[in-house]
Amino acid sequence: MKMTWLQLIMITLLFSIFSCKGKEKEVASKPVIEKDTNTAPANINVTPNAVVNPYAGVDVSPMDMSYYPVDYPKLKMANDNTPPLVARVVYSRPHLQGRHLFNDVLKYGEPWRLGANESTEIQLYRDVTIQGKKVKAGRYILYCIPEADKWTIVLNTNIDSWGLKQEPAKDIQRFDIPAIHDHNGPSLEYFTIVFEKTAGGADMVMAWGDVLAKLPINF
Amino acid sequence: MKKLFFLPVVILLFSVAASAQSTLPAIDKSPLDICYYPNNYPVLKIQDKATEPLVARVVYSRPKKEGRTIFGGLVEYGKLWRLGANEATEIELYKTVYIGGKKITKGRYTLYAIVNESSWTFILNKETDTWGSFKYNQAKDVVRTDAPVQKTTDDLESLAMTFEKTNGSINLIVAWENVKVALPIKL
Repeated sequence: MKMTWLQLIMITLLFSIFSCKGKEKEVASKPVIEKDTNTAPANINVTPNAVVNPYAGVDVSPMDMSYYPVDYPKLKMANDNTPPLVARVVYSRPHLQGRHLFNDVLKYGEPWRLGANESTEIQLYRDVTIQGKKVKAGRYILYCIPEADKWTIVLNTNIDSWGLKQEPAKDIQRFDIPAIHDHNGPSLEYFTIVFEKTAGGADMVMAWGDVLAKLPINF
Repeated sequence: MKKLFFLPVVILLFSVAASAQSTLPAIDKSPLDICYYPNNYPVLKIQDKATEPLVARVVYSRPKKEGRTIFGGLVEYGKLWRLGANEATEIELYKTVYIGGKKITKGRYTLYAIVNESSWTFILNKETDTWGSFKYNQAKDVVRTDAPVQKTTDDLESLAMTFEKTNGSINLIVAWENVKVALPIKL
């Protein structure tokens, strides 16, 4: 199945319309101080005119989380018959800031933490099947080895780790998925992971710059 | 010179990206963040420098002051607060600890607070993966414990949390505006 940018925009529009209800969200309005996403955390506060926060600096690449069912915490709040929780991804969202995704930020063939800062984490609340392989409920980290036409998504057990040092000995599965480049579509400034319902479960959709990749999860 | 030459290109690229972004998933106004005890555990772990085992982590959203009065204003005294923004703040315990004199088994909990001028009541609740404090159910409380408010000379723009080590236990420090409160966690 080929995903077009139009489909993605439709989905994300629906997502953002829903998520705007009572949710404190906005598009970042100002460019922020650039911090190399490959460095350890520093005490940098990017809020304009603010003093440095002595307790915890504010990340340049903010963290975010995506649930399946999409917006599960809000569904649960609004409705007692919410379908059961399947997955949650916690990831940081680097932004392009005028750079090109390949090769300014990412290099083909080199592992990428699929985010920034801490390793990207996926929590599965039930057993699922990915590309015919069973994955047990539990917490994993994800990383990616991008190539021009495919991404290898790796499920690994080295949880609660910073994303710069992958330990392949702790890999449990690797999944190759197509990387779709749309040079004519809009460029996504912030790296984004969202889930999208499919006939057999949900896709974990990963998008940044002009690249889109989907990991099909069946349950 | 080389940099100046590319400046218009960079500005153009940025504005194109910014306009395209308006139709795609936005960045949260109150970004999510995470803090661990030991502090910076994920970095220590990959450097093989962690000298203590993982005890706890908090996942919370960081609202900003933006010129508002926070305590007694945006966060009303005597009312339940999600101790953050967006999704309810989550505390995960990697081992069994004591909070407010009560044994708390390892696992994930939602962390709320009832804020007053001189003290806060911290609440650990079993209902996880929830939004804000809108569907708070007191029957699912695990523990409630009071902690004194410390006034500081800070004027913190963003809500901040970190852990500090004390004698035989740790504190979760919650700070915003000119207020700092410690939740003691006994190991």
